[in-house]
Amino acid sequence: MATTIAKPELLVGKRLRRREDPRLITGTATYVDDIKMPGMLYAVIVRSPHAAASIKSMDVSKAAQHPGVAAVFTGKDTEKVGPVPCGSSLPGLRVPHHYILAPERVYFVGHPVAVVVATDRYVAKDAADLIEIDWDVRGAVADPEKAIADGAPPVHPQWPDNKAFTHHQEGGDVDKAFAEADVIVKQRITSQRLIPTAMETRGVVAEWRAADRQLNLYSSTQIPHLMRSLVAQMLGLEENRLRVVTPEVGGGFGSKLNVYAEEALMGFVAMKLGKPVKWIESRRENFLCTIHGRGHVDYYEVAAKKDGTITGIKLLIIQDLGAYHQLLTPAIPTLSVLMMPGLYKTANIRADIIGAFTNCVPTDAYRGAGRPEATHGIERMVDILAAELKMDPVEIRLKNFIQKEDFPFPTATGLTYDTGDYSLPLKKALGMVGYEKLRAEQAEKRKKGELMGIGISTYGEICAFGPSPATPAGGWESATVKIDPSGKVTVMTGCSPHGQGEETTFAQIAADELGIDIDDILVLHGDTAIVQYGIGTFGSRATAVGGTALYFALQDLKAKIKKFGAFLLESDDATLAGGVVTCNKTGASKTLQEIAGATYRAMKLPANTEPGLIATHFWEPTNFTFPFGAHIVVSDIDRETGGITIRRYIAVDDCGNILNPLIVDGQVHGGVAQGLGQALWEEAVYDESGQLVTGEMTDYVLPRAHMMPWIESDHTTTPTPVNPLGVKGVGEAGTIGCSPAMVNSVVDALSPLGVRHIDMPMTPEKIWRLVQGASSQEPVARMGERL
Amino acid sequence: MIPQTFEYTAPKTLEEALQIIAGGGKPLSGGMSLIPMMKLRLAAPDHLVDLGRLKDLHYIREEGGALHIGATTTHQDVASSALVRGKCPLLAQTAGGVGDPQVRNRGTIGGSVAHADPSADYPAAMQALEAKFVLKGAKSERTVAAADFFLDTFLTALEPGEIVREVIVPVEDGSTGTHYEKVVQKASGFAVVGIAVRISRKAGKIVWARVGVTGLANHAYRATAVEKGLAGTSGGATEVQNAAAVVADGIEANSDLHASAEYRKHLAVVHTIRALLAALARTA
Amino acid sequence: MKISGSHTLQFPPEKAYTLMQDPDVLARAIPGCESLEKTGEDEYRMKMKMALASFSGAFEGKVRITDQTPPQSFRLLVEGTGKIGFMRGNGLLKLAASGAGTEVSYEGDALVGGTMAAVGQRLIDGTARMLIKRFFEKLGEEKAASG
Repeated sequence: MATTIAKPELLVGKRLRRREDPRLITGTATYVDDIKMPGMLYAVIVRSPHAAASIKSMDVSKAAQHPGVAAVFTGKDTEKVGPVPCGSSLPGLRVPHHYILAPERVYFVGHPVAVVVATDRYVAKDAADLIEIDWDVRGAVADPEKAIADGAPPVHPQWPDNKAFTHHQEGGDVDKAFAEADVIVKQRITSQRLIPTAMETRGVVAEWRAADRQLNLYSSTQIPHLMRSLVAQMLGLEENRLRVVTPEVGGGFGSKLNVYAEEALMGFVAMKLGKPVKWIESRRENFLCTIHGRGHVDYYEVAAKKDGTITGIKLLIIQDLGAYHQLLTPAIPTLSVLMMPGLYKTANIRADIIGAFTNCVPTDAYRGAGRPEATHGIERMVDILAAELKMDPVEIRLKNFIQKEDFPFPTATGLTYDTGDYSLPLKKALGMVGYEKLRAEQAEKRKKGELMGIGISTYGEICAFGPSPATPAGGWESATVKIDPSGKVTVMTGCSPHGQGEETTFAQIAADELGIDIDDILVLHGDTAIVQYGIGTFGSRATAVGGTALYFALQDLKAKIKKFGAFLLESDDATLAGGVVTCNKTGASKTLQEIAGATYRAMKLPANTEPGLIATHFWEPTNFTFPFGAHIVVSDIDRETGGITIRRYIAVDDCGNILNPLIVDGQVHGGVAQGLGQALWEEAVYDESGQLVTGEMTDYVLPRAHMMPWIESDHTTTPTPVNPLGVKGVGEAGTIGCSPAMVNSVVDALSPLGVRHIDMPMTPEKIWRLVQGASSQEPVARMGERL
Repeated sequence: MIPQTFEYTAPKTLEEALQIIAGGGKPLSGGMSLIPMMKLRLAAPDHLVDLGRLKDLHYIREEGGALHIGATTTHQDVASSALVRGKCPLLAQTAGGVGDPQVRNRGTIGGSVAHADPSADYPAAMQALEAKFVLKGAKSERTVAAADFFLDTFLTALEPGEIVREVIVPVEDGSTGTHYEKVVQKASGFAVVGIAVRISRKAGKIVWARVGVTGLANHAYRATAVEKGLAGTSGGATEVQNAAAVVADGIEANSDLHASAEYRKHLAVVHTIRALLAALARTA
Repeated sequence: MKISGSHTLQFPPEKAYTLMQDPDVLARAIPGCESLEKTGEDEYRMKMKMALASFSGAFEGKVRITDQTPPQSFRLLVEGTGKIGFMRGNGLLKLAASGAGTEVSYEGDALVGGTMAAVGQRLIDGTARMLIKRFFEKLGEEKAASG
């Protein structure tokens, strides 16, 4: 039997490779689609091809009679199931009833109307093609600004103004700030709809064990426990009769922080038919029916003094909600409002949100969820203000930063920033890029008519979601640590990581605290029958909240190990270190393995002590954490084609203490990829009739490896006082910091042509047109320059 | 993502394959365009005839001063062939820029030519190279020049029952310089515009030039006006610029989400200049 | 999607106009049209089979002619639905004498939905133009047939 060896070297802070990777990269991991069960049926969902229509009639008879078909269900059959839940509550929020299958009216292309269940997915699809639906097509609206304008077709007939809610928030004295301002800059800034494209699409397997009255639901989700509570409600099933299992999750980015119609629908089908059923989302369904991200039209006004001091910010957000509220849809823009002052000291803010229904798939949380939009807005506005005042973008930022001594800092939006030193990452990034030299180079290039840009963003985040009163579903997290009689350790976290690497980082924490080998630690998650209730992985929270819960559970367990070890050693002065309890007087010691065995054998027990070694901790944070950082992008523009080349990409992040630099770098890189995706390439385009024209990979431009610049990343370390690990969260940082830096860079390049703002994605044609527009007096054939 | 039921045959001989195709079978080569369409049920052929296993369609050889390339030769094989790189570098360069590595390892030259996607890369090179295609049916074989082959969007001179059996491209002599310049549509890997250029320059004068254009129009075409503008000149900057300016004249340009007709035409001019200069730099 | 363009036919406007109101002629000229069956005044039910490269699909739809001002102009409304998607077109056709022939100019909107809209973005514009071109070419052939 292996012994636990004392380990002098701490693992936290080490660049360890992820323990989960071997199974992922060798294709041996189990995803939902890998699950096979005897007698399993397959479901294909029939969806609306129209953005707005009524079902005049639906004939499923041919499909139902198709050989191999077990059943066809329509909205009439499932009317009593659900509705699909909306977890956010805003005053006056209009919540349309969200049926799992539309019984009569459809509101977006892809809206499910029927499900065909058959012996295999080919038969099911053949039968689905036999369903005949006579549609009464209605007028649709796909643009949020058009939706709230007079005369727009109503998405939901009961609310002809298409407004799901309005929200107002104010801090300080905005009117005074604007009345006394030396300068006011205004800009309309959009943050376009994006399609979260996880490598693994969604998928559900449902298995009903009638004899046990037990429904097992396998789903690719970020929130197994919340899903269990909500799907049980939707199906009218006792919560303890539903088990949700999250096998491997191949990416989520927020799109799987949700409960969708299909989860309840598969549960319904399995219970009706008494057989296991599987549904795997196609990529086309993924684009049409899984939530989209962003979808903002923002109107900004910033008031400032001549010296660049920002005195007030006004913001109107028109949020494209889509046709329904998914779990958090209406809450996302409220996060933008909380984040709107960014890193700046402004005491006076006013924000309004209009939540607009459109005939599109709902928007919801997508990497950053409201914070990228806010950061993009404020970081663009600060550059616009700097340009207006002819100030350097660095200088204006340094002038307005909340200062180190101001923390904890109460913001005008009601948050309390925990800690920070915002000039640290900015100065580090400037040093890395060689700012002064680049500006000199740029000045030379401008004389020759060459377009080179330097873009800066200094961003803040709200991470580690979050104190429970400030979150829709509880913001705590849970951890259980149990040690087997043989001394092997199992960690169970209520978070359900899906690419964040917690199987590694949580094992690092446990190995250090217990002083044992990391190979003796197993991290389990994502099965509600095994793991205690938890909240999930989103909002850069898993390590900061879940890791802290683990830390405290380990403290409880360590106390018991020490107590038990001392008892076995008959010592009243013992120390636990390196997985060994040692009597400080005699030097005698007991290993963790010996102690664990004794706690279970229980031949004799210390007074008031239970046998066994297990501890569970639910940790409620007192605040969010507020990481920050600086990104700098150096770009060159091809005047002739509008093409953008990224020459340098610098990312300096301050996420507090770093448990595993390799994983943190990976998070930053992935985040930057998605930020560049938004800045340069991605856009979910609906045409006027509500058809998604970027409906496949052939037209929706996702970033690919060869399109990425080399990312020079580094860190500064300002630990948070909010949790004992001093960690703040990093999952969304890359995305939040990226897009404004990229756009600021291109706008900086084009500024000699009078360009002040560019909406994303900055396609070459858009840039070319700006260059053309600015230099239309010049001959078109400027291409001669290159010769 | 779920195709309809279909029959599948992998014939042992070309004759057998052509028999089935004559009876209505749909030839399958690399499947890079057909299979995605089938998965979406946009295409639903009853019978697929897989040409991929016909070894005698997979070859590159030099014969009679030309390169003969079998239809099922993959883009990767064309791109990496020492023979093609040495003797017909334009074709090798073009093949090396098709789609992505997965596509290049499965997609074939015959499949791409027969499919005649208006934004595919190969057709630009075929026009510039004045390639010839050997078209074979169950009872016939004929050779058609690229100029007569590409007719319209996805429309070629192939008759029902015929397949592209072989592609014939010339061997360059020492006087030519070639280049393929492509603006990539980043989602699909197709060309927004692609300009394939061959120039023969002797004693400082351009003897002839060939310019093939893809992505711009309903099918790849030869920009003969550009070619005429260059012939006899020394290929100086202004001459190149003036000649290239007419590359899109009279063309009804494609327009989509990724590039308007106006921008496409502009890109065609810019990239024709760039392609010509790159090719000229490679002439002796 | 906006569609516009023009095409020249080798017969005078009166003849061109009459041809374009004739369901038998339309049935021959509309690419892929398999049948055109009268359902009302200037209203027809149409069956089409479209094949374009590996793309193929059957459509059922309607053709309607409105706003007739012979021989100068009329409006053509076409819609079709099939498993791979649907399309709707609405165009105003204007006829003007041009030498011995007729210049037909058209302007309108086309809408494409369903699976084919999602994957065919870069092809829709070119395909629409090709189909219109084929329509007029077929129409031109009527001259030989009907004198």
